[in-house]
Amino acid sequence: MRRLFDVSLGLATALLLAFLVLPLVAIFTRLSPLELFAQLGDPVAVDALLVSLETSLVAHAFILLVGTPAAYLLATRRFRGRPLVLTLIELPLVLPPAVAGIALLSAFGASGLLGGALDVLGVSVALTPAAVVLAVVLVASPFYVRQAVASFEAVDRNLLDASRTLGVGPFTTFRRVALPLAGRGLGAGSTLAFARGLGEFGATIMFAGSIQGRTQTLPLAIYAQLGRDFDVALAVGALLVLVSLVVLLVAKLVPSWSDFTSIWPFRSVRSASS
Amino acid sequence: MFAAASLADVLPAVESSASFNFAGSDTLAAQLRAGAKADVYAAASSTYPEQLLAEGLLEEPRVFATNRLVLIVPRANPAGIEVVTDLVRPGIRLVLGAEGVPVGDYAREALERLEATRALENVVSEEDSVSGVVAKVALGDADAGFVYATDVKPVEDEVAVIELPSSAQPEIRYLIAVVAGADHPDEARAFVERVLSDEGRRALSAAGFGLP
Repeated sequence: MRRLFDVSLGLATALLLAFLVLPLVAIFTRLSPLELFAQLGDPVAVDALLVSLETSLVAHAFILLVGTPAAYLLATRRFRGRPLVLTLIELPLVLPPAVAGIALLSAFGASGLLGGALDVLGVSVALTPAAVVLAVVLVASPFYVRQAVASFEAVDRNLLDASRTLGVGPFTTFRRVALPLAGRGLGAGSTLAFARGLGEFGATIMFAGSIQGRTQTLPLAIYAQLGRDFDVALAVGALLVLVSLVVLLVAKLVPSWSDFTSIWPFRSVRSASS
Repeated sequence: MFAAASLADVLPAVESSASFNFAGSDTLAAQLRAGAKADVYAAASSTYPEQLLAEGLLEEPRVFATNRLVLIVPRANPAGIEVVTDLVRPGIRLVLGAEGVPVGDYAREALERLEATRALENVVSEEDSVSGVVAKVALGDADAGFVYATDVKPVEDEVAVIELPSSAQPEIRYLIAVVAGADHPDEARAFVERVLSDEGRRALSAAGFGLP
């Protein structure tokens, strides 16, 4: 009986794995790795890579800069409406990308909520690289903030209090105690958010449009090349599979790596107390 | 039924029980090449049906409608575009179908005939189907876009139409064909016949299409 159960578990796992991995492997079977690499030299692919890197980096800087303090607040303060704020921040996680796209158009488009105000300032956001950045921030930031809140919450409250009673200011406590202790989780969340941002498609194509070298990111390039040059589309797809793999490995490896290299003095205190 | 996005309002009126996949004709062609199951392919161009016929993926395609290319601008016309050649002015935000998407190729052809290809520097988005172009102009996020005359009706309150000089008007023919090896060949042929019938012609004409 037990054997039968184990076999069924094994079969289910094998089936799941085959289903998840087969399509990804298929990307690499049509062309040899060398041919795939050669296709990445196509100007469409090169431009898309540059657009993706630029917009993702700007978006990511914004996510870290704004998301980290927000997460710290949500992790360390208890206030009315906190669950609501957390829920709102997490909403884009489950929101269909097309909804994100039409929401951005409704907010920042020329005929949108803020369109008139932006127009007065002579700014039009839709169909520009700035629109790509906004789309990435919208869909990727919850991945970071959620993880960051959890990581800050996991920091032993006593250590923050100890730091404060020793006369260290709140900002220094945040910077010297909370940030390093939460660092592993922040790193993992940051990596996941970056990967999600790099793959953003639906909101981008609706809100930012698609123009080579300007708003056409890697996923948009795959879509644009589908009917024109399938091999280039395939090569860009292969590149994104590899990037995703690297991102995931980094997210998994960095924590164990920091276990060895961290020389943070509070570590001994924490391990002693736990 | 795999059908060009510009047919999205008219084909369901001809046959409401069929299920439709509306997209850019080029996207649909790529899907058919990749082995997607479909019974009928209706394209906004003769290029893809003829390619697919040569590749043995389609039965003989037939012309069932024609269309005109027009320029649309938001009703408020913030960029003050009066004629098509105004599109070369710097700073205008123009939206086109991507290269390979029929409505985009026709637009490029028209700009070439008008010797106004400088307008291509003003392109802020290359859309994968005509519906993307319509949406971006109707919402006011672009100053102008080339679409088919038949796409204007649903957004006629939001946009103004600028006709192309007849010398610049590309020849736009819609072709329909049964997909080779269709799962439902009889229904597929019946559907094609219905599109080509008087009933189909009335529906196409009512939607603003020209008839062959």
